[in-house]
Amino acid sequence: MRIHIVKRENCSLLQKCGLYVGAVLIALVLGGVLLLSIGVDPIAYYTEMFTMGTIGNRIAYKTFMNYLKDFVPLVLTSVALSLAFKMRFWNIGGEGQFIMGAIATAWVAIKLGGVLPTAVVLILMCLAAMVAAGLYGLLVAALKVKFGTNETLLTLMLNYVALYVLTYLLETKAAWNFFLEPTALRPVPQSFDNVVSFPSIPLGGKFALNICVILALAVGALIYVYLKYTKQGYEIAVVGDSAGTARYAGMKVNRIVLRTVFLSACLVGLAAAFKVGTVGTISTTITNDVGWTGIIVAWLSQLNTGVIFVVSALICVLHTGSVEAAASFSRVDSSFANMLQGVILFLILAADFFIRFRVVITKKGDRNHG
Amino acid sequence: MDKLAVLTAFLHSIVVYNIPLLYGTVGEITVEKSGSLNLGVEGIMAVGAIFGYICGCYANSLLVGILAAFAAGVLCGALFAVLTVSLQANQNITGLTLTTFGLGLYFFVGNSLKATGWPVMGNYSNIMKGFSDLSIPLLSEIPLVGKGLFSHNILVYLGIAIAVGMWWYLNKTSPGLRLRAVGENPASADSVGINVKRSKYLHICLGCGIMGIGGYYMGLNLGGSFNSHCWINGYGWIAVALVIFANWNPALAILGTFVFGFFNTLQVSGSSLAGAFPGALGWLADIPAQLYQALPFLITAIVLVVTSIRNKRGSSGLPASLGLNYFREDR
Repeated sequence: MRIHIVKRENCSLLQKCGLYVGAVLIALVLGGVLLLSIGVDPIAYYTEMFTMGTIGNRIAYKTFMNYLKDFVPLVLTSVALSLAFKMRFWNIGGEGQFIMGAIATAWVAIKLGGVLPTAVVLILMCLAAMVAAGLYGLLVAALKVKFGTNETLLTLMLNYVALYVLTYLLETKAAWNFFLEPTALRPVPQSFDNVVSFPSIPLGGKFALNICVILALAVGALIYVYLKYTKQGYEIAVVGDSAGTARYAGMKVNRIVLRTVFLSACLVGLAAAFKVGTVGTISTTITNDVGWTGIIVAWLSQLNTGVIFVVSALICVLHTGSVEAAASFSRVDSSFANMLQGVILFLILAADFFIRFRVVITKKGDRNHG
Repeated sequence: MDKLAVLTAFLHSIVVYNIPLLYGTVGEITVEKSGSLNLGVEGIMAVGAIFGYICGCYANSLLVGILAAFAAGVLCGALFAVLTVSLQANQNITGLTLTTFGLGLYFFVGNSLKATGWPVMGNYSNIMKGFSDLSIPLLSEIPLVGKGLFSHNILVYLGIAIAVGMWWYLNKTSPGLRLRAVGENPASADSVGINVKRSKYLHICLGCGIMGIGGYYMGLNLGGSFNSHCWINGYGWIAVALVIFANWNPALAILGTFVFGFFNTLQVSGSSLAGAFPGALGWLADIPAQLYQALPFLITAIVLVVTSIRNKRGSSGLPASLGLNYFREDR
């Protein structure tokens, strides 16, 4: 008896969904066993986590608003990264690009906030962030195109370069350093939320919807259309399938790579602008790891823009929920979400195998396989 | 403190605080030589650290700790290998997930244990004794460098021995040669009868085990005090960078560890050096710490770009099939 692994093309949507749902359920069961092992009731914990502690909570609207604050940067970053991934350009540099965007946003907000009309400043903040992040990404794409530099490793290194630039700006007390509060003795980042911030639309009661949520949805829809119905979107798909084919078909592959990576990094910058523009200050933890989580979300969603919105929403529930649940379950650290997220992805990666391949068992002497 | 003592202490710190990097780097070189890019170093070191520390303390034995850390690393490696080698999952994604998962596991285990009673390193006499400095006779009596370079805990010597051993293994033995063939071109290696799958599995697990020991060392170095900062604190990522700097050569990794370690340690010892030699080194006090922290990554980025410009495939140690999965039926 021999075991063969054969590629397969036709896996029905139902089978796919079944495998993925199965993977998530197994992950939850494994997480539950772990919770039991430290003496926590998994059902109670999961209930608290998946409802983000909103049931019977009088300030549930606040939880939900905080949830959206985390959701917007994550979904935009994931969409952005998926653009580059579609071309098999491994942009691991979401963190670095986000930080560059955040610095540019804060720069504009501090220098121009109160000087120009708020709407103008907000637009300039977005543009500055997009240019700063875009150029940081474009640099890598240019080196990759020109010299074949390994983009996975280079973007990874640049993440940390950006992080320490930001740390330097936020920890160095000096006369030139306008990022810090001038009156404070210790280095405290300047906050500008009462000068410029993205407005919220009140929707009855105490709940107000931040305009960034609507903008993020709009950007997502635009990218969906861009990828699916435009010539440039088609070019990305072709280059991702095979750069050789694209070249043979007369496409300027290098230009497509440069353009797409720039766009990808720009959108990461926009995510940073939305984040900084809503919290009204910068910190060394401003990214909230979206550069990393975004990679996982993009991959979990198979780079499908619509699915990215669903998966980001769920991953955010996991994170917000685990923080909320940590309040009532003191023994379970909020890092449980990271662990669960890891287990889910491991199992999804394993499930992927059964979607892409078929396992064929042939008996000895049986020539009629595969 | 007299000036020579400051220099000796500086040398000593370079070695003590940066050998974990060597473990991470040599481990990652072993993995990458099989053609797998594992971005999970940070997470694997964290898992090795927490399990090594806890098992070591409960057994009150440094050896048990080292073995547990190694075993924890091997398990992470096995997970990576199952997903990427057998199940053809993307290596970047699997590695990054391993980091997220590993750090999550580290804090989950650590914090739940902290709630019930964290083992304090000082209470375990064998661990303290095992981790104390051992002077090499004669060599450690050389003035200035003797105490700095030749009086260290056993894990420092073990790290150097693993690096040298791995260099020998990769360059001078036939399984090592076969491993490099797998990393360069798995299809060719397969066609001459090398068991590609077995070679990948074996070396991914071995490499990850070595990383695990490095993580354990970091935990011991910090006295086993568990707080909101992970013990590994980015060293896993520096190790990924160091692999490139060392050109995938474990012997060069020793040199690289000391170069990166030099800057790492300047960040801490810069002010004491500036105090001891105000004329020559006074300027050290003015350099921002963040520059030292960024340097490993900045240098590596430059090395990456420069080597790709020179693009001499023959002289680079970068395994040609790095990051690509091998699917036998595609041949």
